[in-house]
Amino acid sequence: MPQSNEAKSDQELLNDRLEQANRQLLQSEKLAAIGQLAAGVAHEINNPVGYVYSNLQSLENYLTDLFRLTDAVDSAESLDNLKAIKQNIDYDFVRSDLKDLLAESREGIERVKTIISAMKDFSHIEEDEFKPADLQRGIETTLNVVNNELKYKADIVKEFGDLPEIECIISQVNQVVMNLLVNAAHAIDDFGTISIRTRQETDSVVIEVEDTGSGISRENINRIFEPFYTTKPIGKGTGLGLSLSFNIIEKHGGQIEVESTPGIGTCFRITLPVRQPPPNGTE
Amino acid sequence: MIKIQLVDDEANILSALRRLLKPQGWEVHTYNNVEAALGGLLEHNYAVIVSDYQMPTADGVTYLQFAKQRQPDAMRLVLSAHGDRNSMIKAINQAEVYRFLSKPWDDYEVVTAIKSAIDVYQLKVENQRLRNQVDTQKAMLRAREQELLRLESENPGITRVQRDADGSVLISDND
Repeated sequence: MPQSNEAKSDQELLNDRLEQANRQLLQSEKLAAIGQLAAGVAHEINNPVGYVYSNLQSLENYLTDLFRLTDAVDSAESLDNLKAIKQNIDYDFVRSDLKDLLAESREGIERVKTIISAMKDFSHIEEDEFKPADLQRGIETTLNVVNNELKYKADIVKEFGDLPEIECIISQVNQVVMNLLVNAAHAIDDFGTISIRTRQETDSVVIEVEDTGSGISRENINRIFEPFYTTKPIGKGTGLGLSLSFNIIEKHGGQIEVESTPGIGTCFRITLPVRQPPPNGTE
Repeated sequence: MIKIQLVDDEANILSALRRLLKPQGWEVHTYNNVEAALGGLLEHNYAVIVSDYQMPTADGVTYLQFAKQRQPDAMRLVLSAHGDRNSMIKAINQAEVYRFLSKPWDDYEVVTAIKSAIDVYQLKVENQRLRNQVDTQKAMLRAREQELLRLESENPGITRVQRDADGSVLISDND
């Protein structure tokens, strides 16, 4: 009796360690993916920062001009003098442009804010328990993170159905969606379309990511979920994205399927249950 | 009037640059897509073309390569938020850009770069003008020379007639 107890605890110990190793692998794949996205995200941030920064310098010049006018109120000899200064600093232009300058700058800062909070949502490390979450919001967040990888490659078509909150580890589901989106963009040579669809089917939900890319050939399609299998050039992919996606979906009690026609495109379909079975299952 | 073309898919970048360049008194044309910018090349002669690197449909280097064929004298600059080695090499080797500027930029840096590009452009244009002048003058000289040769062959000695200060023909024996 004690022996079997010991053996069981050994096995449990091993299981725990395996589980932990799996978690670490998942996390490092996520960080690797974010690393690969970093250049794109930098581009996404540098654009708004670029014009906001430049606008601030223009604003400074406008203010210097305006202060020249207000200071002259005290020192100018006549109203005509003031009028001359007002003319000189192109007052009407400054006045109308200030509004645009501020609106555009605010828009830029908003964009940076969105990207940063998406990155933060995305890289959440702590949570690894199942919680009801809004899939749509997760997909939007993910789209914000990978926007730069996609916008030069494809039009994004979103067809979101009404979804209930589903019990999942949202950060992991986001990771799967990101993998699928980045893969879709990589599969497109020039410019195409990536469609993201969601819908509910009785007690499960379906997410589809479809691209108009080069497709996956018959001999490769059986291997895409294998760890370290990649057709991307060195440095472009870890070969772990889809294999980990598969694990994540399996852990959620869901399914991931793929349909692909070389030359036409590929569609990945994820099915996730709305409710997770209670922890001490009835099996 | 010096004309500057700015190409960037981001309208806000174009507004910011417009503000920045306004006090310089140049004619600034902005385009938020490559197709329209190509149209601009057909209508105007630009001194300087500043293009973004990453844009939908065509990247900045491809656009500048095209601009180089259309308007070889226009100076080409890249303003990019994407400063990786490959894009720089492409910009230098393929589009032969004058400067590679990065976003976010320093206003001073951008204005200085454009100003010095304009200087080079004006040198090129001036050089071209002078060369044309030399060419026309050379052609005139050649025509004159040929005319003299023709006269000489029809009437030997006619080009060697010596004249006095008042225009009368001098005739001497020692020939």
